[in-house]
Amino acid sequence: MSVVYFIFQQTMYFMIPLMIVALGAMFSERSGIINIALEGIMTMGAFTGILFIHFTGGSMNGQFQLIVAVLISMVTGMVFSLFHAYASINMKSNQVISGTALNMFAPAFAIFVARVIQGVQQVQFNNTFRITSVPFLGKIPFFGPLLFQNAYITTYIGIAIFLLSTIVLYKTRFGLRLRSCGEHPQAADSAGINVYRMQYAGVMISGALGGLGGLVFVVPTSTNFNADVAGYGFLALAVLIFGQWKPVNIMLASLFFGLMKAIASAYSGIPFLSSLGIPSYFYKMVPYIITLIVLIFTSRNSQAPKAEGIPYDKGQR
Amino acid sequence: MKKRALALAMAVMMTAALSGCGSSNQGGATTAAPETTTAAEKAAETTAAASEKSDNGYELALVTDLGTIDDKSFNQGAWEGMKKYAEENKISYKYYQPQEGTTDSYLETIGLAIEGGAKLVVCPGFLFEEPVFLAQDQYKDVHFILLDGEPHNGDYSEFRTEANVMPILFQEDEPGFLAGYAAVKDGYTKLGFLGGMAVPAVIRYGYGFAEGADVAAKEMGIDSVEIMYNYTGAFAATPEAQSMAASWYQNGTEVIFGCGGAVGNSVMAAAEEKGTKVIGVDVDQSFESNTVITSAMKELSVSVYDGVKAFYDNSFPGGKTSIFSAKNNGIGLPMETSKFTKFTQQDYDGIFAQLKDGKIELVQPSQDNNNPTVDLKLEKTKINFVE
Repeated sequence: MSVVYFIFQQTMYFMIPLMIVALGAMFSERSGIINIALEGIMTMGAFTGILFIHFTGGSMNGQFQLIVAVLISMVTGMVFSLFHAYASINMKSNQVISGTALNMFAPAFAIFVARVIQGVQQVQFNNTFRITSVPFLGKIPFFGPLLFQNAYITTYIGIAIFLLSTIVLYKTRFGLRLRSCGEHPQAADSAGINVYRMQYAGVMISGALGGLGGLVFVVPTSTNFNADVAGYGFLALAVLIFGQWKPVNIMLASLFFGLMKAIASAYSGIPFLSSLGIPSYFYKMVPYIITLIVLIFTSRNSQAPKAEGIPYDKGQR
Repeated sequence: MKKRALALAMAVMMTAALSGCGSSNQGGATTAAPETTTAAEKAAETTAAASEKSDNGYELALVTDLGTIDDKSFNQGAWEGMKKYAEENKISYKYYQPQEGTTDSYLETIGLAIEGGAKLVVCPGFLFEEPVFLAQDQYKDVHFILLDGEPHNGDYSEFRTEANVMPILFQEDEPGFLAGYAAVKDGYTKLGFLGGMAVPAVIRYGYGFAEGADVAAKEMGIDSVEIMYNYTGAFAATPEAQSMAASWYQNGTEVIFGCGGAVGNSVMAAAEEKGTKVIGVDVDQSFESNTVITSAMKELSVSVYDGVKAFYDNSFPGGKTSIFSAKNNGIGLPMETSKFTKFTQQDYDGIFAQLKDGKIELVQPSQDNNNPTVDLKLEKTKINFVE
C-alpha cells in the first residue's frame, strides 16, 4: 500500500505545476491570446521566488516564507507577462514570436542577475517547506497518507486554484466575458465589453499562474535553481490542448501526465513494476502517444477558442 | 481554425521535445557570453593575424564546454585553477563561451581566444577532443590544456598529441572506488548510482563505485550488497531524476551516488525528503546539502594550476597525456567534511595507499557498452541496471 501512496505523492510533484500552468494558459487562450511564453514566465517566477527564499532562509517560519515566495513569484510572472500582453494586444504583434522572445529572454536574465547578485548562476535554497503530516488530516486512513503526508502547501494552493478557476470561468460575469472575447471579440465589443481589458486580464492571470507554477516546479525537485524548468512550460501547453481548454479536463489531463511521468521515472524502485520488464521508454512515450491519438480524434471538433491568436481589430467584422 | 489548432499542438510538442534536449545541455547556447557572439564571426577571417596581436590582450584563456564557469564541477574547477595561477602571477586571463556544443563552434571560439591574445588555452571536457586535434596544427605556437580527453579526429581513426598540447585524464574509477568502498565500510549495503549522460568519465565513476563496494563487502564478509544503477541521460535537475531517486530510497536504498552535475541536486532533494544519504561528485559538495556524506573528488583546479605553472616554467609536459590518479594525489575523498560514522581516516589512508601502490586492478569500460553488468564481474555485489 505504501507504494500507492508513494506514487501518488510523486505524481503530485509533476501534476500540480503542470495543472497550475495549464490553467494559466487556459485563461490567456480563452481571452484570445496565445501564450507560448509560459516556459519563460515559469523561469522568471521560480527565479524571484527562489531568490527570496535564498536570502530569507532561516529568518522566518518555513510555511510563511513559502507563501510570501508564492506571492512574489505570482507578481513577477504577472509583470513579466505584461510584455507579452503589450506586444500582442496593443502592438498586435505575432503572438507566437512575442512569446518566443520572452522564452529566450527569461533564462538569460535569470543567469545574468544571479551572477551579478551572488557571483554564481545557481541559486541555492533550503527546503524547509515539506509537511511530513498535516495535523489531524494526515491520520485519516487511506486519504491521510494519500493527500496529507509528505505534501507541500503549494499542492493545496494548486487544488484551490483549480476549483477557483472552474468557478470563475463558468459561474461569473468575468468568466463569461473572457470566454466571449476568445470566441468573437467583435461581438463582445458590440455588447459593451472592453476587449483589450479582458485580454489583458487573461494574459496577466496566465502570468501569475505561470510564475507560481515555476516555483512549485522547482521547490520539491532540487536544492538549487539553475535558470531552467526543463520544458514544463511547453508540456503545460500540451496538457492544455489535451484538456481541450476546459478546467476539469485540464485537471484530468495533468493528473494523467503526472501519473505517467511518475511511473516512468519511479518504476525501477517499485518491485512489482520492475519485475514486468517493460523498458522505461515505454512509460515515457505513453502520455505523448495518447495525446497524439486524442488530438487526431478530437481535432475535428476542437474546442479551441475561435479567435485565439488573431490580434483584435475593432474595425473588422 | 481546426487545422491551425492541430498545427499548434504539433509545434508545441516538438518544441517541448527540443527544449527537453536543450535543457540537458545546461543552457549552453542560451548563456553564450555576448562578446563571444559578436566577435565569433570575425574570428574566422582574421585568424592569420592572431600571433602578432598576442602581446596585449588576455594571455590565459578558458573555453567552456556545455556548462558554465560556475557549474560547481568541471568548468568551475578548471577556471579556479587558472585564475589562481593568473592572479598570483599577475597574468591577464579570460573565459569564452561557445555558442553551441559543436566542433565548429568550439574551434571558432578557440580561434577567438587566440585572436584575443591567448598563449595558453584551457579546454575542459572530452567534447574538446576533436577541436583540439584540429587546433593543435592550426595554431602551432599556442599551447593547449585539454581536460578529460585526448585529441583525435572525427572518426577516431587517428589519435595524435602534438608538443603544444597537454591532455589531462583523471582516473575517475579511483574516487568512485573510494566512495563505494567507504560507503559499504560505513555500514551501507543498499547503494544507488544515478549518473548523468553515459560519457566515459561517468561510466568510470560508476564502475569504480561498484567495484569499491564489492571489495569492501569481501573484506567485511557481507554477502549481499545491492546497487541500483542508472544513467539519466542528462545533467539537469528534473522531477524525473528526483522521482527515480525517491523511488529507490522508498524501496530501501540507503545512499545514492549522484554522479552528473545537477542530477545530484535532485538526488539531494529526494534524500532530504526521505532522510537518506547522498554521495557527491567531482568537487566537495557537502555544503550543498546536509545529506551529502562524502564526495568522489577530482582535483581539477590543482591539475590545471600545475599545467599552467609548467607552461610558465618552460616545462610544459606537452605531447603526452598526464594522468591524475591516486598516484599523484589527483583524486580523493574530502575526509574533513565527510560524515562517516565507522569509516575512519585510518581506513581511508589504508585503501588510498593500496590504490596508490597499484595493488587494486580496476576494470575499464569496454567500447560501445554502458551496461555495467556486462563488464563487471563482482562476487558479493548485485547490480540492478535500470535502462
